[in-house]
Amino acid sequence: MAVEVMTLEVAEASAKGLVAIGAGLAVGMAGLATAIAQYGIGTAAVGATAENKDIFGLVLVLTVIPETIVIFGLVVALLLLF
Amino acid sequence: MLNTRPMSKLLIVASKDQLDGIVRELYRHHVFHIEDFVETEEEGYEGVKIGMPLPQASAVSTELLRIRSIINAIGAAPSDVVPEQKEPVSALSARIDAELPHIEAEISELVDRRNRLEAAIRVCETKIAELEPFVPVQVDLSLLRGYDQFSVLSGHIPANVELPVPAETYFSGEVSGNLLIAIVPKDRLNEAELFLFEAGFQSVSIPDEEGLAKDRIAWYTQEISRFQAEMEQIDEQVNTRKDKHQAFLAACDELLTAEAERAEAPLRFATTDTTFVAEGWVPEENVEALISALRSVTGGRVFITEQDFDPVNESVPIEYENPDFSKPTEMLMDVYSRPQYTELDPTLLIAVVFPIFFGYILGDVGYGLVLLAMSLGLRKVITNDAGEKLLKVIRNASISSIIFGLLYSEFLGFALPWEPIGINRHLSIGGEAHGEGPDVVLMLVISVWAGILHITLGRLIHIRNARRMIKPGKHQNQVVFGQAGWILVMWGILFILWSLVEIPLMPAFTGLPPIVAGMNIATLLGAVMLVAGIAGIGQENSLELLELPTVISHTLSYARLAAVGISSVAIAMVTNFIAIDMLIEPAMEEISLVGVILIVAGLVVFLLGHTLNTALGLLGGGLHSIRLHYVEFFTKFYLGRGKKYDPFGMIRKFTED
Repeated sequence: MAVEVMTLEVAEASAKGLVAIGAGLAVGMAGLATAIAQYGIGTAAVGATAENKDIFGLVLVLTVIPETIVIFGLVVALLLLF
Repeated sequence: MLNTRPMSKLLIVASKDQLDGIVRELYRHHVFHIEDFVETEEEGYEGVKIGMPLPQASAVSTELLRIRSIINAIGAAPSDVVPEQKEPVSALSARIDAELPHIEAEISELVDRRNRLEAAIRVCETKIAELEPFVPVQVDLSLLRGYDQFSVLSGHIPANVELPVPAETYFSGEVSGNLLIAIVPKDRLNEAELFLFEAGFQSVSIPDEEGLAKDRIAWYTQEISRFQAEMEQIDEQVNTRKDKHQAFLAACDELLTAEAERAEAPLRFATTDTTFVAEGWVPEENVEALISALRSVTGGRVFITEQDFDPVNESVPIEYENPDFSKPTEMLMDVYSRPQYTELDPTLLIAVVFPIFFGYILGDVGYGLVLLAMSLGLRKVITNDAGEKLLKVIRNASISSIIFGLLYSEFLGFALPWEPIGINRHLSIGGEAHGEGPDVVLMLVISVWAGILHITLGRLIHIRNARRMIKPGKHQNQVVFGQAGWILVMWGILFILWSLVEIPLMPAFTGLPPIVAGMNIATLLGAVMLVAGIAGIGQENSLELLELPTVISHTLSYARLAAVGISSVAIAMVTNFIAIDMLIEPAMEEISLVGVILIVAGLVVFLLGHTLNTALGLLGGGLHSIRLHYVEFFTKFYLGRGKKYDPFGMIRKFTED
């Protein structure tokens, strides 16, 4: 078995890779959380709108509130990457 | 501009014999928003009842029903008819009496014939369905019935069986579910039936037909196509009638709808035995013209007065008053809710800020041009009011997108021949370095600045609304100080932040000399603002303190302006990289069959990717921008729930007096 030598380049490259993984996790997991939150609100919102069209604006607002979570994830990812 | 149209409340009282003339005049002016009268038991309202419809109401409704049924029958849509010229009402009324019965008879005759043909086709189809199981039987169907000594059993069965009684059987596996025909002596019928039932037999009745099943099916199919041809002829005739009469029918519809609405108007008025009272709203600028018109039509026998009203608590109907530039944006307001009468109408603010946000997110000349072309091209297709407004909103947004695209130097993800001005969003995709990489931090800071200013503006508008809508006194002060508190908290946090870290594009107070315990003047100022702000919020409503984290989350929510935009650039650049650098370019070096396929694949990827990204850009840019308004901006001040101004009358397209 070859013994792997940890050079500076290897260390730097793997650090970069870990940053990329971290960025991916930040967006992915935040996206999942948003999806879970929006799933419930969205279902209820569509139902409520079917009953009364006038509240579309209000339920749209309620539905998009969890979107902030994924935006935070995206911001963190962008800050990590650049 | 930032207010809704000023309204006056009118009270019209007259004797009942003036009712028809007044209703007619109100309808013609199309400015009077009727406040429906509700019967009450309260003191002072004894003997006041909801009015009765005018005598012609039921006749007009019947007539209208006839017209609508004709319109329905020929499949015309009055809203799609382009009026050639307006027809005088008197001429039209005469034409209704003279021509309508004729048209009605003609069309109902066509419709009847069509219905009969439809029924006949259905009958044929049923017959064919009945005959289908018997297709393999090569025997005249009339031979399968009419015996004195024998019974014929026919039906589906899972598999062929041997009957325990003397029988003549025929089995075919060619049709779905198989077919078994058994001819058994009548006296053994019960036994045979019992046996077959246990074998899973499903009886099918023998069609009442002469000849082979196959031939009969062919005959019925022929009949169906004959009927269908006849129906097509009728449809054609209906269409010629439609082209010929639909303008007339649409005009009739308009005339009669107007008459029906007029005839039913008294249902919304209060009446006594001899008089009626109509209450409603009129835009201030129209009041004088309406009053003098009513006076002249009644010969002065009418009492009209402008009433005082409470602009805050009464539900005044809302009509926007915007310059042409911000009119389309009213549609975005209607989606949320109309403003109340006394609060600030933020339409103009959205009309300015929304395109800027949109362009900041989707700053790309290529996408901007596509959206611009789309919004201009769809104008011919989408003709309803809200749709037209939406297209204009998209048009403004796409122009802003083009301007930002020129600054960002972006065209469908490619760089334009100049360096980005101010902000660079070019990413390094596929290992190619484009300069120093995108200015993510810069974009984020600009976004957050947008948030800070937007939210502060929202709070300031709340203070302005409170000063107009709440009576001066303790409550008004509480609200004003509460909102000032929110502003102080936000800026206090900012001051503390600025004195701790240096952020590009933001003031840096880190260099100031410390005064107490390592804190400099900015930190102290920030802390004082923070505490004062919290006190301000708490005195209005201590529960609001739970909302304190929203100061940070709402401000940071504006970071989406940068984040969504950069992801859109990333998708565009990745599409270009896959399509051109990975597929087309290598194939271009050496032209071969595989190469041509690769080039085509590259073009497909290019088109698909950019179509998707245009759609995403419109959704992302539009939805996120409007969401920032609805959620982050409006929650700071906006009440909404204003009632739409819906004046009595209609915009006439086909008729005139």
